[in-house]
Amino acid sequence: MTPQRAVLLSALGVAVFLGLWEAMARSGFVPAGLLPSPSAVPPAFLAEVKRGMWQAMVLSSLSHYLKGLVIGSLLGIAFGAAAALWPVWDALQAWVVRMLRPIPSIAWIPFAIIWFGVSEQAASFLIALTVFWINYFASYAAVQGIDKDLIELGEAFGQGGLIPRVFKIILPAAMPGILSGLRAGLGQGWMTVVAAELFGITGVGMRMQDASGMLATNIVVLYMVTIAVLYGVSDFIFMRVQGRVLAWRR
Amino acid sequence: MAAVIDLKDVSIGYGADAPPVLAGVTLAIERGSFVAIVGPSGVGKSTLLRVVAGLHSARSGYVDIHAPERPDRRPVALVFQDARLMPWRRVQKNVEFGLEGLPIPKPARAERAASALRLVHLDGYGGRWPYELSGGQRQRVGIARALAVEPDILLMDEPFGALDAITRRNLQEELRRIHQDTGKTVLFVTHDIEEAVHLADRILLLGGTSPARIVRDFPNTPGSEGHAFHEQVNQVRGGLADNYSI
Repeated sequence: MTPQRAVLLSALGVAVFLGLWEAMARSGFVPAGLLPSPSAVPPAFLAEVKRGMWQAMVLSSLSHYLKGLVIGSLLGIAFGAAAALWPVWDALQAWVVRMLRPIPSIAWIPFAIIWFGVSEQAASFLIALTVFWINYFASYAAVQGIDKDLIELGEAFGQGGLIPRVFKIILPAAMPGILSGLRAGLGQGWMTVVAAELFGITGVGMRMQDASGMLATNIVVLYMVTIAVLYGVSDFIFMRVQGRVLAWRR
Repeated sequence: MAAVIDLKDVSIGYGADAPPVLAGVTLAIERGSFVAIVGPSGVGKSTLLRVVAGLHSARSGYVDIHAPERPDRRPVALVFQDARLMPWRRVQKNVEFGLEGLPIPKPARAERAASALRLVHLDGYGGRWPYELSGGQRQRVGIARALAVEPDILLMDEPFGALDAITRRNLQEELRRIHQDTGKTVLFVTHDIEEAVHLADRILLLGGTSPARIVRDFPNTPGSEGHAFHEQVNQVRGGLADNYSI
């Protein structure tokens, strides 16, 4: 299939989906309060932008998201790589990881609020937690899976010390796996943004909660679409960057 | 001529309790010579090479490398069977790898890498990714990377073993030329006796009952022509068959 044909088919799929949704909403089969039509979303968008609400909510969410994403990703990569590199450290933290890993980030909301209050820091903390585990396990697997012959190559050419071994061999070799973790974290982070903000932290999640309380479901859908677009844009940019970073792959 | 590699009663093994793989290895290799190590698979040829390279410690005995100290070079360089290029580095940067960490300014480093690439007839390939190269070209880059550090001793672990016959023959000729041009000492592991007789001026045969040792030491005139070549190949083969116990 040619790329043009694939794009056309994707556009057709979206058009059919929106058409069916619109038809269902207009037919009265589902009450308008329960499912707004897609055509009700653009006016809601214009109204929200006019009030400055949309910009404020998006900027606030982006701020939580980016802080949590950066902190969680960096710590996850560092801890995951360290555990894969040093068996003593791996053994020391193995059961701590097993105990903490299954606890979903939203279960930490009470502590986030106790520790940070209903604040931006609380949201960033929850996002960082989500992103941390994804990057921890991705980096752990990526570093464990690198070709050990490359380590020997480093030793044979005087690059066997810790710093050159980590920065010239291990991290570049593990980069495809690390980037996969970053990408997964990028998506999961948005899910946590909404969950964290539902509890009153300013952002798109809070606005959705408020709107649903007033049965303004078109506004709820507007912010759902906003999150989808923000994720789509961030994922697109990430893929472009990844394409450059991993240009060495066939 | 002075020995550049000196091994005295070297014993090599993996793990403290496991029996040694090689024992009683005593060997002096003269500067500028081309020595091939042959023997059955698993006998310890590559392990011996790794001990000389300093990648594996001898369990007992002495390993001495007599190479003049110079801060801008490495005395020993290794060429692997699988080329072992770093896929995330372009060819030029792969060749520069061994020079990193030495006190060489960046432009000089780049020039030394470019010069090593010229030596293996890969000038103009510096900007390519490893995946864009053929198997033979990748192996040449591996050789260039080793030559770039200007070693006294070139250790080669079955470097042409994974290549097709024509590429292998071409690279053998290039290696002979490089050896003649640079006068480096070459320690060359191979399981191909014809390759050993074609390239080396001395052939060491590893074998015997476990632990293995050097069972024969053949002087050799490199080349692949005429009666003398076939006679030498048969002699080494005979030696291998007599000592095949692995």
